[in-house]
Amino acid sequence: MANDEYLTDYDQIVNTMQMYIDGSKQGRSELMRPAFHADASFFGYAGDQLAIGTPFLFDWIDKNGPADKIQPRMVSVDILKSIAVVRLDVGGWSGKLAGSDVYMSDLFTLLKTPSGWKIIQKAFHWHS
Amino acid sequence: MPERNIPQKTLEAWKQIAAYLERSERTVRRWEATEGLPVHRREHEKQDTVFAFRHEIEAWNRLRTKCPAEISVDEAENLLPVKPTTNAYLVEHDAITHTMHRYIAAARAGDGDLMRPAFHPSATISGYCQGVEYTGSVEHVFKWITGNGPAPNITPRFARIEIIESIAIVHLEVERWSGKLAGANARASDVFTLLKWNGEWKITHKLFHWHDR
Repeated sequence: MANDEYLTDYDQIVNTMQMYIDGSKQGRSELMRPAFHADASFFGYAGDQLAIGTPFLFDWIDKNGPADKIQPRMVSVDILKSIAVVRLDVGGWSGKLAGSDVYMSDLFTLLKTPSGWKIIQKAFHWHS
Repeated sequence: MPERNIPQKTLEAWKQIAAYLERSERTVRRWEATEGLPVHRREHEKQDTVFAFRHEIEAWNRLRTKCPAEISVDEAENLLPVKPTTNAYLVEHDAITHTMHRYIAAARAGDGDLMRPAFHPSATISGYCQGVEYTGSVEHVFKWITGNGPAPNITPRFARIEIIESIAIVHLEVERWSGKLAGANARASDVFTLLKWNGEWKITHKLFHWHDR
């Protein structure tokens, strides 16, 4: 456990992101739900359709099922006092809804709350 | 020279005018050329000198805060002359800064309705101010901006603009916030997430850190 304030925040943010990655990999939204703020939002295009709202995300994860070959890469982690931005690029997405070998870029914004760092928004771009 | 008898009402030379407006001399010279900043000249043999009346500068400042179209350029954007571009990436970059300037101009004017077109209808906000969490609909922002009133001296800095095809992140550092709710000389760090929607970049989320003092 890091004792430096920045590193402590960094590690907690990475832990929060890991919940999202684990839920994605196993196709189980209940694993990622604790990573999200109760009022979190979700935006992005799935094909031509604009998908909005975390219920859409959680439903999609459950219906997509396991995607055990995903390759997540933390592209950037920027922390600014009580807020943070994480860019996560994920290759090798697969599953019932994703298809095969899909590449996604996600921009997560996080808020430092009394119960830890929570994802307040996920915006995604599905690379065609 | 009657002006010399009432020095408290005039600003002598670009240096004093710039200091009064809390901007660089270069910026206030540009404002005279492009935005009608009221500056007067005295003829001399070699070179004219400039001066300005405080009441005229104040009246000009009040007027311009009501008309965001005329305050489209700020210090950060003034580093390079902005020219129309055909480069696909820069077109998107410029479209994003255009959306952000709508936000900045409305914040300066203290008119929440002016910034509405910069946001997606389902946009949200979150962050803490004085230990209180403000999370919810972007309507909170519009109300706050209108309740706060004009903040003519806010100085925005673009710290980051990152575009991933249909989504983008903008980190904006805003200094010299003022107003009924902001207090004096306040500072905010904002992270905006944007979505390209119906061909226009719209803010879908504003995440902020208010620097409490």
